[in-house]
Formats: sequence, C-alpha cells, structure tokens
Amino acid sequence: MGSYLIRRLLRTVLVMLGISLVVFVFVRSIPGDPAVAMLGERATPEAAAALREQLGLNKPWFFNPANPMDAQYPKYMGALLQGDLGSGIKSNIPVWDDLKARFPATAELSVAALLFALLVGMPAGILAALRRNSVWDNLATTISLVGVSMPVFWLGLLLSYFFAVKLGWLPPSARLGSEVNLEPLTGFYVLDGLLRGQPAAAWDALRHLILPAIALGSIPLAIIARITRSSMLDVLGQDYVRTARAKGLTGRAVTFKHALRNALLPVVTVIGLQAGALLGGAVLTETIFSWPGIGSWVYDAISQRDYPIIQGGVIFAALIVSLANLIVDLSYAALDPRIQYS
Amino acid sequence: MTTATAPAAKPRQDSIFWRRFRRSTPGRVGAVIVAAFVLLAVFASVLKPYDPTTDRNYSRILKAPSVAALWNPEVAETYRDPVTGRVNAWAAPMGTDNLGRDVMTRVLHGTRISLKVGVVSTLLALVIGSLLGVLAGYFGGWFDSVMGYLTDVMLAFPSILLAIGFASIFSASDPPLLIAGMDRLFALNSPQLVTAMLAVSLVQVPVYMRLARSVVLSIREREFVQAAGALGATQGRMIFRHVLPNSLSPLIVQGSLSIATATIEVAALGFLGIGAQPPLPEWGTMISDSRQYYIDAPWTMVFPGLAIFLTVLGFNLLGDGLRDVLDPRSTQ
Repeated sequence: MGSYLIRRLLRTVLVMLGISLVVFVFVRSIPGDPAVAMLGERATPEAAAALREQLGLNKPWFFNPANPMDAQYPKYMGALLQGDLGSGIKSNIPVWDDLKARFPATAELSVAALLFALLVGMPAGILAALRRNSVWDNLATTISLVGVSMPVFWLGLLLSYFFAVKLGWLPPSARLGSEVNLEPLTGFYVLDGLLRGQPAAAWDALRHLILPAIALGSIPLAIIARITRSSMLDVLGQDYVRTARAKGLTGRAVTFKHALRNALLPVVTVIGLQAGALLGGAVLTETIFSWPGIGSWVYDAISQRDYPIIQGGVIFAALIVSLANLIVDLSYAALDPRIQYS
Repeated sequence: MTTATAPAAKPRQDSIFWRRFRRSTPGRVGAVIVAAFVLLAVFASVLKPYDPTTDRNYSRILKAPSVAALWNPEVAETYRDPVTGRVNAWAAPMGTDNLGRDVMTRVLHGTRISLKVGVVSTLLALVIGSLLGVLAGYFGGWFDSVMGYLTDVMLAFPSILLAIGFASIFSASDPPLLIAGMDRLFALNSPQLVTAMLAVSLVQVPVYMRLARSVVLSIREREFVQAAGALGATQGRMIFRHVLPNSLSPLIVQGSLSIATATIEVAALGFLGIGAQPPLPEWGTMISDSRQYYIDAPWTMVFPGLAIFLTVLGFNLLGDGLRDVLDPRSTQ
C-alpha cells in the first residue's frame, strides 16, 4: 500500500505538470495580443510594447539562451508553485482571489446537482434491478437514456422557461433575490442562511439553486441510475446472495446488507468520475442561469482573451478532476478490503 | 457434404447479426430514428430548398407554430391569407424566428450539419485513437508509457473546457490550411464549425486510445495471434490482419455512442458562440440566438433542441443495440 500510494501520488504530480504545460501552450496560442486587449484598440505600438515588456510576454516561452531561468514557462511555474496565478487583465484582481470568491458558488451548485443525481438515480437503479423487466425497470432505463441524450443547455432553458417564466414558481437566475441581505460565511448560501439564523434567506437561496442543480445533475443522474442497476443485477446473481436467501434472511436484509454494499463500488467510481462532467457542465449551466461561479467566469474570460483567468480556471478545474480520480482510486481500498495494492 | 454446407455458411453468419439486432428493442428504435434523420439530411434540399442568407421575411417575425392554427383561433388569425381568407396551417409548422425565418426549414437543414459533424469528428477520433491505442497495446514499452501519460493528462480536463480552449485558438479570421481544407472537403462553409468539430474529435481521442489498448492487450495473448506469430507473420500483418479486426466490436459500439456525445458537444460549442456562426442553421447556434427572445417565442428554442435530443437519443439507442449484438457479455 505504501509504495502504491507513493507511485499514485507521483503520477498525479506528473499529470499536474503536464496539465500546466498544456494550459501554458494553449493560452499563448490563442490569437490576439493581450497587451492590445488591455490597452484597447487605440493604444500606440510603443505603449503595447512597453506593457508586453512589463508582463514578460516578450520573453521566449521555454528557454532563453542568455539566461536559462529568464523565460516565460519557468517564471510561470515558479509563480504557480507559490499559488500566484497572476491578475485578471481587465479587472486587475488577483486570479486566486477571484477563484476563491467564485469557487463556493460552483461547489454549492455541483454538490446540489450530485445530491439530486444520487437521491433520484440510486433508488431508481436499485428498484430497476430488484424488479427486473417491470414497469419500474423500463421507467428507470428510460430516465437514464433521456438524461444522457438531453443537451444540458437545452434542458436548462426548458426548465427556466416552464418553471420560472411560465409558472413563476422559481427564480430564473442568480443565487439570491436582490432584496435578500445575506453575509457570506461558508459561501454555500443555503448553509449560510441557516447558520446566520436567516431561514428566509436560506429558503431563497434554495429556490435559486433548484433549477440549475436539476439541469447540471441530469447527466450524472442518468449515469448513476444505469451503473447502480447493472451493478445490483450483477451482485444479485452471485452465489453469496443466493446463500443468504437460502439461509432464510429477509429480502430486505439481503438487498441492503449483502447486495447493496457490494454493488456500491462501481457507483462510487462513477461518482468520482463525474467531477469532470460537473465542472464542464457548469460552464453551460452557469451561463444560462447567470450563476456567479467558475464556469461562467472562465467562459467570459475566453471571450475577452483574459489569459491569466483562463489559465487559472482551467488549471484549477483539471486539479479538481485529478484529485477526484486520486480519491476514487484510494477509496477502493477502504471500500473493498479484497483489493490489495502492491 | 462439404459442397452443400460451404455456400450456406456465409448468409447464415450475416443473419445471426440481423436476427440478434432485430431482437434488441433499443437497437431497432435507434436504427429507425437514425435512419429517419439520415433521410431528412439527404433529402433536405429536395423537401425544402434553403439559402441561409436570403431567407428573411420581415412581415412574419416571431410567429407561433402554424400547426397551432388547427386548434388555436388566435394563431389561425395570424396565418389567415388577407385575400383568400384561408388559413394555411403548414406555412411555418414550427413557427418563425426574430428575422421571420421558418424554424422548421432551418432545423431540417441543421440535420445535415449536425450529422456530418458528428460522424466526421467521431471517425477521426476513432481512427487516430484506435491506431495509437493498438500500437501502444501491441508494442508496450516506452511508447505505451508516453501514450498512457498523454491520455491521463488529456482526460484530466473537463472535455468541454479542452474543446473550448482548442476552438478558441483557431478562431482567427484566416483559418490554417488544414481547417480551410476540411471546410472545403465537407462543404460546411464555416471554419469555426470545422474547428469545433476538430476540438470535439481531439477530446475523444484518448477514449479510443484506452479502449483499443485494453482490447489489444487481451487479444495479443490469444492462441490464434500467437499461432500467426509462430507461422512467421510480420508484425504489421499480425496487427492489421489478426489483432485489429478482432478488436473492432467494442470500437464500433463506442463509435455509435461517441456520435451522440460529439453531436451534443458541437451543439454546446455553437451555443457558447465558439462553434458554427450565424446565419448557419446549426442547432446549438439557433438555440444561442433564441436566448434573446425565447421567453416570448419558446418554439425558436424548443424545436432545435428537440432535434438535438432525438438525434443523440437515436445514436445512443443504436449503440446499445449494437452492444447487445456485438458484445453480448457486457449487456445487463
């Protein structure tokens, strides 16, 4: 286990290095001059050159024959390791500060989406497996098919049209109503409202959260339902389940103690792998619902060629995905003692 | 005896595939949906000729779907011919958009774009990814390690972010030669759409690399491959005559499912404004346009989205059906 852990961590570090390299090259290949973007189209060539000099954009990318460390990539990596992601070109706010301010919004949305997906997807999958080929099975299969086939942005617009515009049940955008005054504490507004003793604010935050969470959770829901069903079916056909039934245990005990616990391993994997899908889906969902998270922030930055923000946002997203993968791999050992690492 | 059974062997093999496929409900439904969309795409210009630049009709802006005239007198009034007094319920069955364009015609012609882009991007990813994966799995060693590392790095990016990044690099006004060439080749008339297509394709490459590699690893050790090696077959022959043909089933299944993913992602890029550009009738771009007025005219958003949904559903079902037939062990 010890040597496995070290190798696995080393691989994560190497992947992170690769990610930083890819992002570095990508961002510098986006057409358009960031100095001109900062100064505006009417800037003199001299001013643009001076700004490029000041930002270090005139240096070679990887290697400077005169001074090996005086190139863009070593400087960028050095700063990155110190947690310095630079400042947004338009706003001049440090990227890290923006990231910290916006992350809770995306995290709250992702957690809500995942909760929705789990609370609907897992029972649906279990029920489908227990009553194979019944109406419930067909319903669960249909839900999961519709979920993976539905474009997130279309579902978002449909939800906002029916439930916000037509019926007026839920708000169409933002995290809180403009009249609600809530001092952030954790950045999770529903939680903050409860912690600050403002149940009305928590309720308002929850109402804003529902539609985007359903839109973002639709794909994970479909995948979780599907995996739970097939994993349960697999386990229910095992000998030890038959043994448990044969020795006279109740259906419920067999289902929940013997089958479900063993069927959960693939489900946990899939939940971990949804981290990437959630962050990617957040770009679309946050754009539709004007949700002030990382997705909408990166999207705006791309249209404005704000290099440091794109760089920071994408590196951050990739970091989260690599960490989620790492956690999935390590949690195998905790969940399934049969797995031996060497 | 041999002469009697030999000719019968070939058709029997074909019919096993079809018999199994016909028994698979998802496969049948998927095949029908996909076939319907392919027919619509092929005959789009025959059914309703269309030029995206000269289709405006400012006398008919944001009109509700004309089929609603059959039961809704208010809608019927807007489609009543002032001279003859007759109501044409088929004037614009899916309504019109902010420039008075017929939504149905645009959705119909969008089929062409989406199918072409979905299929081409998947084929590219399938060919490149499987080739790299087969080589990595077959040869192992440093090549396998490097490819495995690249796959890890690429899969760490949320795919839509990677696609956005890639698409934004090449969104310049003068596209590189490769993109301009593909634009001509597939008659898409939009370098940005080609870029989006390549971006979506690139994102899928690691998926095929992993899949092909794992399949090859299991097949490489099988007796018939070992036997071919013992008989003195060259490496190229072993890979392309023995290993690759036997690895195709999972790749084909994945291919059908990828067309579904690619269709959604290209539409998503169009929706974000980095794929196809207006006035091209690409479904995602149409939904993006409709964001300004969908509150008053939801049909401009509902029908293009429905088209995406149905196409994607069709390919997903087809993929499930193909899996039932080609890879029965993995079906639950």
